Amino acid sequence: MKIEGTHELQARRERVFQALTDPEVLKRCIPGCEQLEKTGENSYAATLRAGVGSIKGTFKGNVRLEEIRQPEHYRMIVDGKGQPGFLKGTGAIDLEEQGDATIIRYAGDVQVGGTIASVGQRMIQGAAKMMASQFFTAIEAEAKTEANDPPPKHGFFRTALRWFSGWVRRRFRKKSGA
Amino acid sequence: MIPVQFDYVAPATLDEAARLLAEHQDEAKLLAGGHSLIPAMKLRLAQPSLLIDIGRIKDLAYITEEGDQIRIGAMTTHYQIEASERLKEICPLLPECAASIGDVQVRNKGTIGGSLAHADPAADWPAAILALDAEMIAVGAQGERTIRAQDFFVDMLTTSLEPNEILREIRVPQPQKNTAQAYMKVAQPASGFAVVGIAVNLTRGDDGRCQSANIGITGVAAKAYRASNVESALAGNALDEQTIAAAAAHAADGVDANSDLYASADYRRHLAEVYTRRAIQKAIAKL
Amino acid sequence: MSKFVGQRVKRTEDPRLIKGLGHYVDDIRLPDTLHVAFLRSMYAHARITNIDVSEAMNTPGVVAVYTGRDLGEKIGPVPCAAALPDLKVPDHRPLASDKVYFVGHPIAAVVATDRYAARDAVDLIMVDYEELAVVVDPEEAAKGGAVVHEKFGDNVAYKLTAGEGDIDAALASADKVIKQRILNQRLAPIAMEPRGVLARYLPGEEELTVWSSTQIPHLLRTQLALMIGIPENKLRVITPEVGGGFGSKLNVYGEEALLGWISMQLGKPVKWIETRRENMASTIHGRGQVGYIEVGCRNDGTITGLRYNVFADLGAYHQLLTPAIPTLTGLMLSGCYKIPAIQINVTGVFTNKMATDAYRGAGRPEATYVVERAADLVAAELGLDPVEVRRRNFPKPDEFPFKTATGLFYDSGNYEAALDKALQNADYARLREEQKRARDEGRIIGIGVSTYVEICALGPSQAMPAGGWESATVRIEPTGKVTILTGASPHGQGQETSFAQIAADELGVDIGDVTVIHGDTSIVQYGIGTFGSRATAVGGTAVYIAIERLKEKANKIAAHLLQADISKVVWDENGFNLEPEPAKVAAGAGVPEADLPAGQAPGASLPEPQIEGKKSLSLQDIALAAHLAKDLPPDMEPGLSATYFFEPKNFTFPFGTHIAIVEIDRETGEIKFQRYVAVDDCGKVINPMLVDGQVQGGIVQAIGQALYEEVVYDEQGQLVTGTLMDYAVPKAAMLPWFELDRTETPTDVNPMGVKGVGEAGTIGATPAIVNAVVDALSPYGIRHIDMPIKPENVWKIVNQQS
Ligand SMILES: Cc1cc2nc3c(=O)[nH]c(=O)nc-3n(C[C@H](O)[C@H](O)[C@H](O)COP(=O)(O)OP(=O)(O)OC[C@H]3O[C@@H](n4cnc5c(N)ncnc54)[C@H](O)[C@@H]3O)c2cc1C
Repeated sequence: MKIEGTHELQARRERVFQALTDPEVLKRCIPGCEQLEKTGENSYAATLRAGVGSIKGTFKGNVRLEEIRQPEHYRMIVDGKGQPGFLKGTGAIDLEEQGDATIIRYAGDVQVGGTIASVGQRMIQGAAKMMASQFFTAIEAEAKTEANDPPPKHGFFRTALRWFSGWVRRRFRKKSGA
Repeated sequence: MIPVQFDYVAPATLDEAARLLAEHQDEAKLLAGGHSLIPAMKLRLAQPSLLIDIGRIKDLAYITEEGDQIRIGAMTTHYQIEASERLKEICPLLPECAASIGDVQVRNKGTIGGSLAHADPAADWPAAILALDAEMIAVGAQGERTIRAQDFFVDMLTTSLEPNEILREIRVPQPQKNTAQAYMKVAQPASGFAVVGIAVNLTRGDDGRCQSANIGITGVAAKAYRASNVESALAGNALDEQTIAAAAAHAADGVDANSDLYASADYRRHLAEVYTRRAIQKAIAKL
Repeated sequence: MSKFVGQRVKRTEDPRLIKGLGHYVDDIRLPDTLHVAFLRSMYAHARITNIDVSEAMNTPGVVAVYTGRDLGEKIGPVPCAAALPDLKVPDHRPLASDKVYFVGHPIAAVVATDRYAARDAVDLIMVDYEELAVVVDPEEAAKGGAVVHEKFGDNVAYKLTAGEGDIDAALASADKVIKQRILNQRLAPIAMEPRGVLARYLPGEEELTVWSSTQIPHLLRTQLALMIGIPENKLRVITPEVGGGFGSKLNVYGEEALLGWISMQLGKPVKWIETRRENMASTIHGRGQVGYIEVGCRNDGTITGLRYNVFADLGAYHQLLTPAIPTLTGLMLSGCYKIPAIQINVTGVFTNKMATDAYRGAGRPEATYVVERAADLVAAELGLDPVEVRRRNFPKPDEFPFKTATGLFYDSGNYEAALDKALQNADYARLREEQKRARDEGRIIGIGVSTYVEICALGPSQAMPAGGWESATVRIEPTGKVTILTGASPHGQGQETSFAQIAADELGVDIGDVTVIHGDTSIVQYGIGTFGSRATAVGGTAVYIAIERLKEKANKIAAHLLQADISKVVWDENGFNLEPEPAKVAAGAGVPEADLPAGQAPGASLPEPQIEGKKSLSLQDIALAAHLAKDLPPDMEPGLSATYFFEPKNFTFPFGTHIAIVEIDRETGEIKFQRYVAVDDCGKVINPMLVDGQVQGGIVQAIGQALYEEVVYDEQGQLVTGTLMDYAVPKAAMLPWFELDRTETPTDVNPMGVKGVGEAGTIGATPAIVNAVVDALSPYGIRHIDMPIKPENVWKIVNQQS
C-alpha cells in the first residue's frame, strides 16, 4: 500500500531534520512508541503500541534510517510484528526549506499482514495517514523548541503513559492471580 | 474469534460507571450495544481487561423533548429511534438515519451513543448528528460538559471524549417549521456501512429561498464532516435544480477521501456529490 | 399413483432446524472434551526458522501443542483424488513444518481444556519466519519468477489439452474470430456452518469416531483411515446436521485427520470448530480461472469453433479435487450448442493462496460463463439478437442423445422449449422495445440471456475418482414404519423429505411413516455423498430401485400368505391385492400399527398378523409376517429390506434459460435488477418447492459472483477479504424477485427421469447477469466486463463516454 503526504511544519529545516533523526525525539514522536533502543548506527529496536481509537496492538520491531543526507533527505525502514499481524514500511522523507518553515514530503510503501490486513482493509490507509500526521505534528512541536528546552508534551504521549501504567498493573495482577 | 479474557461489571448508576472508568482508565471499555466493540474484541484488535456494561443503568435510553431540544439517551437503540413516531414527525432525519443502519439485529442492539463514541469513519449517525448541530453531553469524574457535534469528531475512531468520559445524552435542536430533512446512503455491500452517507437538514424561508442548510457527510473521509461549501452555496439562494447541483459539487471540497476495495477516492467524491444533490432534493420534496 | 412426488411437500427437516433443535457438530457435547485451536501463518510464503511452544505449553489448561515437526509423517498426506497425467503433487501434511505456503496455513495445534485457553495459548507460540518471495497472480505464476514449491522448479502443476475437432482449421476458416480475456474470480463458498470436527478415540475398543461437517462421510472415513493408519472398520464417521457445504465440504481436510490422531494420542475427545476467519482463509475457495477465449463463427451466427486457454489458480496445495475442477470446465465447453471444434488448454498453477476446489457448479459455471459470454460476443460482433445466435446453434430435440466435441453424450433436451417459455414469461419482444425507448430517454437498461446446460448426477464410476454410484437400503420395520438409509448424505438439500416422498408413493404409506437416515458410516451402507447435483438422480434412484426390489419380495410373501399365484397378486397404493379391487375394500382390512397415536408407547409384544380370510394385505401386514417369519415361502430370508447400489450409465444434462433485466444508474454506475426470469429443466420434479429453493439459492450465489463477491489477496499474498465485513455475500434485501418456471424433459438415465438441480442457479444465472450489464453498456462500445461488476467500473465506462 502506497502512502504519501505533505506536511508544512512551522520550524526551521535544520531543527526539523535534527528532530527527525534524534532517537530521543523519535521515541517521543512516533505514535505509541514505548521503547526505542539503539542497536547500531542509525538502527533501533522499538516497541510500538500502535492503533487508532479502541483498536490497538503491540508491535515489536526495528527502525532503521538510511540514505541520510542532512538536512534534506533520509529513508526510514520500519518493521514490526505482533499478535494482530505484522507491518513493514519503507519511506523516503524529503525536507524542503520554505523560509522559516519546512515542507516535509513523505512517500512510502506500507505492508501489513495478518489480522490487520484481512479485517482492516477499509481503514488501514486512514490509520496510516492519521499516525503520520500525529508524528509530524509532534515533530513540529519538538522542532519549534530550542535545543535545550524541555521536551513538549504530546497528546498521545500521555495516552501511552497511561496505557503503560495500566499494563504494569495488569501484568502484576495476572502474576499475582496465577 | 475468541476475545482475550476480560472482567465484566454492570454498574447500576452512571456515577458508578464513571468512577470505574476513571479508576481503570485505558484498561477498561464501556460496553453499550457491543456491536462495534465485541467484534473488535473477538478479532483481538481490542483487548480491554474490563468491560463496564452501561446497559443496566436505568434511564439511559429515552427520547424526550425539553424546551426546544430533543434529548436522546446514549443507550437508545437504533431501532428505538427508527420506530419513534414522534421523531418521524418532528425530526425525520433521525429515524431515517437509524433505519439505514445495518440490519434488524444490529439496530436492536446497537446504540446511538455507542456509535457516536466509536466514531467509525463509515458510521451513519455522525452525518446526522453533524447536520442537526447536536450537542453531546459527556460525564466524567470531574462532572459534565457539553461538546458540540462539530468538535466531537476528531479523526478516524477518535472523538473528543476523554478516555474517562461517558457520553450520556445527545441533544438535538428542535427543527423549525419548513425544515427539510433526509438521509441517503450508498451501503457497502459487505458491511452495510456507508460508502457515502449524506444527512440534510435545511430550512426554507417564506420567500422560498434556503434560509440555512446543514449537510453532514460520512463515509468519505477519516471522519464525518460538515460540507460547509455546499451549505454556503445553498444559503440565501433559491432551491432550484441548478443551485442544488452547483452546491452539491462542493460535497467533497478539501477532503482527503478514503479509498478501499469497493470504491476509490475519486469515486467516493463523485458519489458524495451525486448523493448530496439527491438527498437535498429528497428533503425538499417533503416540504 | 403419486400422492407425494411432484407435490410442494414442506421440508420435514425444517421444524427442528428453525427451532434450534438440530444437532450440528458443535451441538454434540461429550464429557472431558478437549478443544483445539490452530496457529496459522500470517505470511503467504516463508520459511519457519524456529518455533517455540514453551510458553504456550505452560499456560494453564493447555494439554498439548503439536507442530508440523512433531507430526513428521505420522499422519499421511492430505489426499488428492484427481489423477491427471504428470500432475505435480506437493507433499501436503496437516501442519506446516519447514515452510508455510499461504496465509492461513496451519502451523501448530494447541489442545486445551477449553476453547478459550486453547485460543489464548495460540498467541504465545513464537514463530520465527524468514519471508520468501510470493506469487499470487496465476498468469505471473505460470511465467516464472517466484516459485511456490522449490522442488518442482516452476509453478505449473499440470498442462492439459482436451477437445475434438480441428480447432485451428475451424478458427482459420471462420468468417469471424472473436477473442476475449475473461476472468472467473476466486470465490469463498461460505457455508453458514463453518467446518467442525469432534473426534473420540476409545482406547479399550480401539475405536475412533469422527463427527465432521462433511458432504462425504464414507469417502472421508476411507481417507481418514488411510491417513491416520487405523483400520477402516474401527473408524466411524458421523455427519450430523450440516449447515451447507456448496462443495467446500466435499473434501478431506488436514484438520479432520489431525483431530482424529490427537484423540488417539490423548485418549480423550477433541473438538475444533472453525471460526469464520479460518473459514475464509483455510477452507477451499472456488473458481479462480483466468482465460482467453477464441470463438469462430460464420456470418449467420453459427459457431464453428471455440478455444479456451486457461490458467487455473490452484493455490498452494491440492485438496481432494483441486486439479480436476478445470477438467469439468473442459467437458462443458460446448454449452448447449453444436460446436464442431472445441479445445481447452489448461495450465494449472500453484500460487501462494488457499487451494481452490469444488464450489457450487465446480468447473461448470466457468464453462457456461465462457460459452454464454462467447455467444453474446458473437451476437455483438454480427449485430444479431443474442437469442437468435443461441437458437441457431441449438441441437434439435430429435438429435438427442447429442454428442459434443468434448466427448459427452447429452441425454435429453429441448433447449428451444425452455428458451421460448422464458422469452414468453419475460415478454422479450416488449422488453427490447422498452429498452429502446428507455435508451432514448437516457436510461441504461440491459437484457441478458443465458441458455445453459449442465452436467449433473455425477456420475458413472468410470468418470469419477472414487465411485459414481450411490446406495440405499429400504427397510419396513415390524411395525410397518419405513426406514431408508441413504449414502447420499445431505447438507441442506432436503433429502429427508424428497426421499420420503419417493418411498411414501412407492410403498403406499404416509410420508410421516418414512424416516431417512444418513451420515453415519456405522449405520448406513457405504455411500458416495451429496455433490454434483447427484443426490436425487443417483441416490434417489437407488432408493427407488431398492423399493422395487423390496416390493418384489413383499409380493412373493403376499402371494404366499394369500395362497395365490404371484401373477394374481396386484400392487396398489393400499397393498397387495388378490384381484385388482377398489381401494375401499382393502382399507377396512387390519389397522396397521402406524395408526398408534403419536407418542404412545408401542405394545410390549408384537401383534399376530391377521391374514385369515383377507383378499388384500397391507405392506404392514407383510412386514410383520416377514419379521415373525412363521409362515414364509420356503427358502425365503426373513425380514423385509432391500439394499441397492445404483450405477448410472451416464450423467444427466439439465438445462434452461435465464433472463436478467438490469437498470444502471447513469450517474453512479449502480446496478439494479428490474426482473429476473428463469426456466429450468431438471427432468422430473420430485418436490417443486425444493427445486425452487435450489434454483433460488443458486441464483443468489450467481448474483454474488456477478456483482459482489471476490476473494482478494494483495501482492504479498495477504488475504484482504478476511471477514464478512469485507467479502460481500448478497443479502436478501439486495435481491430481485425470481420469476421461476420449468419445462420437464425426462431423462432415460434413471427410471424416475430426474436430472438434478443443485447447481443450475449458479451455472445459468451468472452469465445472464453479466450479459445484461454488458448489454446495457453496449452503446458505450462495451463487449465484456469482468466480474464482480462493481458500480465504480460501470461508472467509469459511462462517465468516459458521456
Ligand atoms: C453486522 C453489523 C453491521 C453494521 N452496520 C452498520 C451500519 O450500516 N451503519 C452504522 O452506522 N453502523 C453499523 N454497525 C455498527 C453498529 O451501529 C454499532 O452498534 C455501533 O457502531 C456501536 O454501538 P454499540 O452500542 O453497539 O456500541 P459498543 O460496541 O458497545 O461500543 C462501541 C465503542 O464506544 C464506546 N462507548 C459505547 N457507549 C459509550 C458511551 N455512552 N460513552 C462513551 N463511550 C461509549 C465503547 O467503549 C466502545 O469503544 C454495524 C454493526 C454490525 C455488527
